[in-house]
Formats: sequence, C-alpha cells, structure tokens
Amino acid sequence: MNCLEFRRCKLADPRRLPEEARAHVSGCPSCAAFAREVDETERELERALAVPVPEGLADRALLHARAPRRAWRRWALAASVLAALALGAFQFARQDQPALYAHLAIEHVVMEPQSFTTVRNADADAFRAVVQEFGATLKEIPGTIRYIRLCPVEGGYGWHVVFETPAGLATLLLVPGKHLPATQSASAAGWNALVRPVRGGYYAIVTPSADATSRFDRMIRDCILWA
Amino acid sequence: MGISRTAQNFEHAVRAYSADLYRYAWWLCRDRHLAEDVVQETFARAWKSWAELRDVTLAKAWLVTIMRNELARSFSRHKPALDIDAVGEAELPALPSFESQLETAQLVSLLPETYREPLLLQVLGGFSCAEIAGMLATTEGAVMTRLTRARQALRQHFVEPAARKAIK
Repeated sequence: MNCLEFRRCKLADPRRLPEEARAHVSGCPSCAAFAREVDETERELERALAVPVPEGLADRALLHARAPRRAWRRWALAASVLAALALGAFQFARQDQPALYAHLAIEHVVMEPQSFTTVRNADADAFRAVVQEFGATLKEIPGTIRYIRLCPVEGGYGWHVVFETPAGLATLLLVPGKHLPATQSASAAGWNALVRPVRGGYYAIVTPSADATSRFDRMIRDCILWA
Repeated sequence: MGISRTAQNFEHAVRAYSADLYRYAWWLCRDRHLAEDVVQETFARAWKSWAELRDVTLAKAWLVTIMRNELARSFSRHKPALDIDAVGEAELPALPSFESQLETAQLVSLLPETYREPLLLQVLGGFSCAEIAGMLATTEGAVMTRLTRARQALRQHFVEPAARKAIK
C-alpha cells in the first residue's frame, strides 16, 4: 500500500484500517502524522454530533411501542386532524402576513436568547469576512461585536450578529440569496424589526424599540456599502 | 425464546440505541420534536416484528433502516428522494472564508445530505462502509468516496494550512 491509498483508507473509515494500511503507517512517519490529525478531527466530530438527547426518551419510546394501539390510534387521528387544521391556519396566516420576514427575524431572536448572553466569534475580521461573503464592503464596524453565528433561517441560512451599541444590544441578520420586493417592519413580543432588501439578499435589524432600530439601521447604512 | 425474553431484548435495544437514533434523526431533520417522534415510531414499528428478529446483533442496522423509512415518510411532501450517486463533487459546499470561526456542528450542517448521512451512520452508528452501502442501497466504493470527501471538507476547518503542508 502506498501513501495515497493509505490516506484514502484513513479518510473513508478512520477506525477500521485494513492490515496492509496498519503495516504501512507503522513505517511511514508522514502518514502517521496524517493519521493522528484525522483521529483528532474525528474526536472533534464525535463531540459535535453528540447533541443532547431528551430526558426520558427511551422510557417514552418503550411506552409508545407497547401501548395498546387501538386507543392510541384514535387519539393520533384526532390529534393529526387538529394539527393539520392548526398548521393550515398558521401557514395561511404566514402567507397573509405583510411583514413576514420582519416577524421571522423577531422569532429568530426570541428563539436564540443565548445570543445576548454569550460572547461568540466576537471578532471584527470575522464580521468583515461575513460582509465580504455577502458581496458588500465594510467601511467601519457599527459597534462592538459580541456574537456571530451561521444560523438556519427560512429557506436557507443567514449570519446572526449581535452588536453592543450606545443604545444597547442590536441584532443584525444577514440573509443571502433571498430577494424581497420592499422594506418590512414589525413589532411583536417586545421587539421591533426592520428588514431591508439589499443586493445579494436582505438584512434584518432587531432591537427592543422602533427608535433604536431606526438608529442602528442608519449606522448600518453608513458603515456598509451594499452595492 | 419466550415472550418475556423478547420484551427484555427489545428494552435493551431501546435503551442502547435510542440516543444514537435520536441524534441521527436530529442531524437529518434539525427538529427535536420530529426527531423524537421518528424515534418513537421507529421502535413502535420494530416492536411489532421484534419476535421475528433472528439475530439481535443486526438490530441496530435494522432499526436504522426503519428510521430512514420513517424520515422519508415525514419528508416525502417536502424533500426529493435521496440518491447518493446523483451528487457530484461540485456540490460540496463552498465553506465560508471565515471558516476557522465556525464550529464543527455548523460545518456538518453545511455538508450536502448525501455526504452527511453516511458520515452520521459511521460516526454515530459505528457502521462500516459495507454496512452503510447496504442501508443506502449503493456501492461500498460510492460510500467510501462520500466519506472521504466529507472528511476532506471538515479537515479544511481543523488543520492549519501550515500544519497540513508539514505532513505532506
């Protein structure tokens, strides 16, 4: 086995090396270093994939599997009819909502409260790279960066950025690829949001008040060249 | 084997595999409620035929197959059928230029499903390339290629360019 074949084997299944691969790595320092690095990546991957499992999952699965099916099915049918009605009503409401993306921005912030209590990727260069990735140019940082995260959003992904500004914390969501016809604004659950279409997608600002949103929007427009 | 022994084996399987199955489902649907529903339904379906399972060492692979069918049912209205051979290298995600700032979980999320699924089966499930090929109805070679490319994409994040150069 040569080095190339060894590396293919190691990347395809790091824990199950065939005998000839083990023989090769024992006499090849370069491949041994490669194997150590792949093993370290694998450990990191295992840690990342170990999402928390709901407490009592196994007990509920056992109960569900062995429960008398007829009664359960009647309830399931009733529940599914109710769920379908609720989902239909929700989707109808969403389609009908004039400021859907502003509401979605507020919902995103509400669902990620740790963005206000965690300092994460708080780095100006990272934000500059995000803006460049979006196809815009950063002239100045619009506040102190506290949090940057790539998040799933409606229909794709977007960058969730939290700034510390003189008026308090402000959230900026940068969503590439989605083109909106007009600016949207909304207030809900104690939050105010403004969504503005720009070249390459849209951005959303979420703050506790319309006044703070408007001020931060002016800062964003001053600091980022969207053309 | 008596009924009580069957029930006992089933309970052992639920306790041994429910966490891995949940994580596997979660990484495919990213919805904890749906993931738990799918796990419960998987075991409910498995229990109906559990007495016919002749080799309990195959239980985990069998449960994964049931779960994939359950997930496909859940996704059928929203997602196209998965064809592992239909995706080319060009579809590997362009990792963001600030990739060093991102965490592993986010990078895994960016992998196309055709790369992510065999990776989950191997890392979470502990399955070999041949076993994964059987579950995904493809060839062992195709699975090896997907896994190699998935790990290469992740390595870009973990290995500093200088370190990578040093071991070439």
